[in-house]
Amino acid sequence: MPSASSSTPKDEPKTLFSERPEWADVQALEQYEISNPLAPIFYSEEYKDATGYFRAIVKKGEMSERVMELTEFIIRHNPAHYTVWQYRYKTLLALQSPLEAEIKLMDELAVKFLKTYQVWHHRRLLLLLQRDSSNSFSAAAKELAFVAQSLKADEKNYHTWSHRQWVLSQFDHEDLCASELDFVDDMLNHDVRNNSAWHHRFFVVFQSGVREGEEDRARVVKRELTYTKQNISLAPNNPSAWNYLRGVLDYSKMPYAQLTSFVNLYAVPTDSDVIDIVDLDNPPPSKDAQLPCVAALEFLADIYEKRGKDDEEYGTTAAVEVYFPSFLHFLESNELILSKQVWKSLAHEHDTIRQKYWEYRIREALVNA
Amino acid sequence: MPQNSPHPLPPLARTAHAAHATRCLSGLPGSQTDIDASRVALVFYCLGSLDLLGLLDSKVPELDRQEWTEWLWEQQTRGPFGTGFKPGSFMTSRPDQEGSADESNYNCPHIIMTYTAMLSLAILRDDFSRLDRRGITSFLRSCQKDDGSFSTTPQSTDSDLRTVYCAFAISSMLNDWSGMDVGRAIAFIDSCRTYEGGYGQSPFCEAQGGTTYTAIASLYLAPQGNSNGEHLTAAQREQTIRWLVSNQQTSGGFRGRTAKEADACYCFWCGGALQILGEPDLVNRTSLANFMARCQFKYGGISKAPGENPDPYHTYLSLAALSMYPPANDAGSNPSWQFERLDPLLNARETTVRWIKEHIPSNPQVSQ
Ligand SMILES: [Zn+2]
Repeated sequence: MPSASSSTPKDEPKTLFSERPEWADVQALEQYEISNPLAPIFYSEEYKDATGYFRAIVKKGEMSERVMELTEFIIRHNPAHYTVWQYRYKTLLALQSPLEAEIKLMDELAVKFLKTYQVWHHRRLLLLLQRDSSNSFSAAAKELAFVAQSLKADEKNYHTWSHRQWVLSQFDHEDLCASELDFVDDMLNHDVRNNSAWHHRFFVVFQSGVREGEEDRARVVKRELTYTKQNISLAPNNPSAWNYLRGVLDYSKMPYAQLTSFVNLYAVPTDSDVIDIVDLDNPPPSKDAQLPCVAALEFLADIYEKRGKDDEEYGTTAAVEVYFPSFLHFLESNELILSKQVWKSLAHEHDTIRQKYWEYRIREALVNA
Repeated sequence: MPQNSPHPLPPLARTAHAAHATRCLSGLPGSQTDIDASRVALVFYCLGSLDLLGLLDSKVPELDRQEWTEWLWEQQTRGPFGTGFKPGSFMTSRPDQEGSADESNYNCPHIIMTYTAMLSLAILRDDFSRLDRRGITSFLRSCQKDDGSFSTTPQSTDSDLRTVYCAFAISSMLNDWSGMDVGRAIAFIDSCRTYEGGYGQSPFCEAQGGTTYTAIASLYLAPQGNSNGEHLTAAQREQTIRWLVSNQQTSGGFRGRTAKEADACYCFWCGGALQILGEPDLVNRTSLANFMARCQFKYGGISKAPGENPDPYHTYLSLAALSMYPPANDAGSNPSWQFERLDPLLNARETTVRWIKEHIPSNPQVSQ
């Protein structure tokens, strides 16, 4: 539970709305259910009281300052109440009140109800109100700072990351994205196994437009490969980094085989012979690394399989297929034999939970060969 | 003893799990007030658990089942944007208090509730004579956005892959696709695909098990001419299978995202997607059942991970996962782990889906 002291006064039990003179003019509307309802909720007294006034207000169509107080009260008891959020937003617009107070309140509530979808959705609506205004850039920049702050409390929170991606895709300011790579770097430096941060990196580098200084895409790809390889060398058994590596290669349509020497370093059992000569293109695993690395074995098998297919495209097996189809299985390429060996070692030794999958890869490779 | 199960599987506590479901259906404490906004979905998880366990008829008296059916129909709401089901009665006031607030724009249908209410009514074997089919298609139309996605309610702006799936499932149940622009919806799904091979909840979001299931299921529910995942290339299909399989952990459970912890619900989401892609054999069933055994709560219900508290969502999805992936029925395994088959596309028992096909469309497809 957050101990945010600033919120304490508002959380203190107040008198029921039915006991407040300023609400005396409103007749609360009790919730109606037919008999034997499914999964009825035994609401607290103050929640039942407040929602009775909310139903009455909605029916009247009243949009006033006291509606802001009422809806805030209900949200604090049930942040998932989307109707209250909707009505609050409409009221906010109708009152044309300045947004600062609302944003301040949302900063508190987002931390308090980090996992509630509605909280983030309301923030989006508030941001959209500012998108076409003169302070659009500063609103978005503030939002990114807020997101960075709240990611500290929960570094993999899906809502928070989605919100950041949404802000960056909706607010198209060059400068907004300029420091985004530094932000990702910080996140990954803190936890190199945070897949959300790796994903965000992919979004920033490849999907959110080309930043100044990144026009030379070949250089960007090379930079990303180097960055990822270095991170793999520090923490070899990190599926997020390996997936990113595949992502970069797939995106730029580069063959996996290009990384053969690098991958080989991680696909062999730990060796006492420490490599002294550090090749910057092929950084070796750290000394205490657990090898071989499952992701490297898988990568290597993919390289072999692809080579086997490419050999075939040069036509040696095509003629045989026509004249002697039953001989085909004797003609497996060396490459295919190698990938089969790797898959077998994954199935029976290094990644036995996925035994069925590695056997499937062997079968599929034979069918497609 | 089977070689790969050092500990024999304890029984699946079917009666206790059924009791957990009926307990939740009879009422929830005030600490769960946030369920109010998705009450019909919770009802579906509870009724669905009873349905999968085959214990609905024996554990719930017929009178209750009739009254529950009435309560579900009470949630069907007609309004300016068409017809659908609302989550519950939180915006409904007594009819005798100068009219009803029912027709208000703030008490309108919700797309996830519409999908779960239709499944719930099918589980209760309702004949669907009260279903406003045309109203539902116009409701769907008013929820579809320019980018092809669907909002949860007609006036709201929150939309993602979950709601897209609901639109596909509802249209499929109705056997009527006039409520949506299928091409645009599929374009939205494509835009959520990530470099890992899964799908995020919205464009640019990280691949996640639940939204990947909804993407794959939608592609395979799509009508003829758009169906059978023909939008996936062979390479994309392989990449998705790889990612789904990579989420099974040595504990036997699946995680929802790369490098996260295993969570029982992802056994359904990832396992369901693999089932739809035609590769059910790639799941390690023995360890999956071992994981589920450890997620059982001693007083009934299944939790997201061992040692956590159970809830209807994780209970239902775990039972649905086990319906697709029961442990191998060899010597030593306990019959309590066996289930009737599940339809992975609509996420219901096959007999319930047959009921849907025979009763929901205006021109029912009578099965052979
Ligand atoms: Zn879960």
